[in-house]
Amino acid sequence: MHRFNFGPTPGQYAELLRSGVSATQSTVLEHGGADPGLDSVRPLVLADLGPYPNNDPAAETAFWKRIESDSNKLVMWWLDRMVAARSPLSERMTWFWHGHWATSISAISYPLAMMKQNNTLRRHALANFRDMTKAMVVDGAFNVWLNNDQNYIDSPNENMARELMELMTLGVNKFSQHDVTAAARALTGYSTNYSNGRVTFKAKEHYSEPLTILGSRSKFDAASLATLVVSKPQNARFIADRLWFRFVSGSSKPPVSLARSFASRDISSLVDALVRTTGWASPAHDLVKSPVEWFVGACRALRVRPSRLDSGGLQWELSQMGQFPFNPPNVGGWTYGQAWLSPVAYQYRFELAQSIVEKGDLAPLSVARSKVVQACADWLGVADWSRRTGAALAAAKSPADLALVALLSPEYMVSA
Amino acid sequence: MLAAMSTELTFESLASAASDGPLPANTPILVLVTLYGGNDGLNTVVPFTDPVYASARSNIALTSSQLLPFTNSLAFNSSMPSISALYGQNKVAIVQGVSYPNPSLSHFSSMAVWQSASLTGVSSGWIGRWLDRQPHNAFNAIGVGSTVPPSFVGETSVASMVDVSGIQLPWGDAAKLLPRLGRASSSDGALEGAAATSIADLFATASLLGPLIPTSPTGSTIFQQLSMVATMINANVPTRVWEVNLSSFDTHSSEQSDQNSLLADVDAAIGTFMTSISAGSRANDVTVMIYSEFGRRVESNGSDGTDHGTSAPVLLIGNGVKGGLYGEAPPLNALDDNGNLVVTTDFRAIYGGLLHDVLATSVSDIIPAWNTVLSVH
Repeated sequence: MHRFNFGPTPGQYAELLRSGVSATQSTVLEHGGADPGLDSVRPLVLADLGPYPNNDPAAETAFWKRIESDSNKLVMWWLDRMVAARSPLSERMTWFWHGHWATSISAISYPLAMMKQNNTLRRHALANFRDMTKAMVVDGAFNVWLNNDQNYIDSPNENMARELMELMTLGVNKFSQHDVTAAARALTGYSTNYSNGRVTFKAKEHYSEPLTILGSRSKFDAASLATLVVSKPQNARFIADRLWFRFVSGSSKPPVSLARSFASRDISSLVDALVRTTGWASPAHDLVKSPVEWFVGACRALRVRPSRLDSGGLQWELSQMGQFPFNPPNVGGWTYGQAWLSPVAYQYRFELAQSIVEKGDLAPLSVARSKVVQACADWLGVADWSRRTGAALAAAKSPADLALVALLSPEYMVSA
Repeated sequence: MLAAMSTELTFESLASAASDGPLPANTPILVLVTLYGGNDGLNTVVPFTDPVYASARSNIALTSSQLLPFTNSLAFNSSMPSISALYGQNKVAIVQGVSYPNPSLSHFSSMAVWQSASLTGVSSGWIGRWLDRQPHNAFNAIGVGSTVPPSFVGETSVASMVDVSGIQLPWGDAAKLLPRLGRASSSDGALEGAAATSIADLFATASLLGPLIPTSPTGSTIFQQLSMVATMINANVPTRVWEVNLSSFDTHSSEQSDQNSLLADVDAAIGTFMTSISAGSRANDVTVMIYSEFGRRVESNGSDGTDHGTSAPVLLIGNGVKGGLYGEAPPLNALDDNGNLVVTTDFRAIYGGLLHDVLATSVSDIIPAWNTVLSVH
């Protein structure tokens, strides 16, 4: 629930406990059907803002204002979807893939290009990884982020070729520098229109001679390169490991059988196998929630739409905690585990919790004093409070304070 | 600028009787400056008379007006006037050709090697393992920023963090209950325990460090970070290791303008930091190390940038540092199979020197089976 669905909505945890493990797994895996929660978030439409207005100071100011307001709309639209979804798996997987194909808006600036990438990731989030990779190698924001718009036959730029293999499909040390050089040539000829993220292929600027990449000799373009790297057995292991690491355990290795569930590169089969993993209770399977995961979980529990919060405050607090959507720190994506557990993050976590609780629905916590500790556990889906946290909860004087203590507890910061 | 860094506050004036004492006089202090993205060493310390330098990277090679020569054949990038001046005062050690055997061209693998001081995928950080061997104290090692750098995570301990935006403790009724959440509980898993420690460390550091952080910091991010560290060092905060960092050195394109501006920020920050430290009571205690996960390709690319490379110089700066050149400069005309510089110094030798000279620790306790020490003190 916490790992694959951003945490329960009020009442959901107790209901799932009653319905049993197998029904819970099915609920967690639901996706693709009608979702009144998602339907309640107004669809986002962003305009093509066109080229940058050079040499016109007034137009430049207006342009940057528009970029800023569109960026804000994009972030709020996505966070609202994560919070509103009745079946959040699809949004959760889109969030995972955003961290995997870690593209920052800082390179391309235009929110429309980032929205297109986001929709591409959502479309393929639980579909086939080969199709996702073929779509991403011709994604405008991704191309610009990794300098592929500056990758020419005469002067290759190997950034995208290397990171595509190392970080997105095969893993480090699974290819040679020769493969990088050749793959960079396969990726020549693609140019990106920044304002709308559209990528066009110019055959004349594409390297059309045969290349040897990962032992295969052929003519290659972006699509056939994507197909080749995804076809390698190493790709199944690499992606299975990545999902295991982010959803199940930061400190143990996945069973060998996990990669077999990804043999056809069908993402939903792999996610299915992960959800049905046994032994969740082992401490080796504890995971620290990332700031956005913690925030979305808190909003779901308190029924608060992120767009109703002060957007400046939200951006500041999440950024200070180290994670703001569409702004990964680098192409490797966001950090994990203990790195999120810093005293600095905790001070901003408090401020954010405070603003959510202020706007939140505290009805689930308005219960008799003797029942508050259990009510908090049911509300947030925490199996057991430690004696430490139980005592602090019991000492809280109001439902709002109770909510703050629960959201800011070590037990809620970690998915146990 | 100097005024902005000086402070009336000292750790003694802030510390309550219950807290740990100030750092004893003459205790050495290490300040790590991490440059993320792979800083181009050849445009930082420039072999400007080598004909290969100008020919292999004609679109980004620095020309005479952009150079501050310090030997017949080497110059600093002219974005680095302060560091150049400190070199003239023999306070800068330049270790040349630094990396490790078979260097990885991956940002993440390479930074993991540097931060763990391990070639075999050990996940704990080298300063983290040093922390593991100290009695727990929220002040032993402090990073600046919100996410803990991997070098500062040990097997059982994690360093504290502070931010240039200041420390704002939780307020209101609920806030009175939050310090309780920082207590360890016997039912905690390792990560819940780490979460509790981070809460306890916030409350432990807030009253003592909070007043030392300027309310409206000025200058670049690295300037703000190093200013804060200088203030805390001069206030005798009992911290042995600090970490600050700066990103965006991954200059695959428009390298000259981007790198020059980043180096200028680092240089201004270091210059002011050293002035501030030199005026305080710990003038001779501080050693700064500036490093990145790798250098960049000798030959430039067509985007006026450079792709990932291997070895690069590491700079060590301090009033107690013996300035000058250390190690061999890798030749530009004898590159490895990928067109990258060869490695002449293993970074672990520098760590060995720092562990021995600054942290007074057995090198092989922190870096198993490693004994080579390159001392700059």
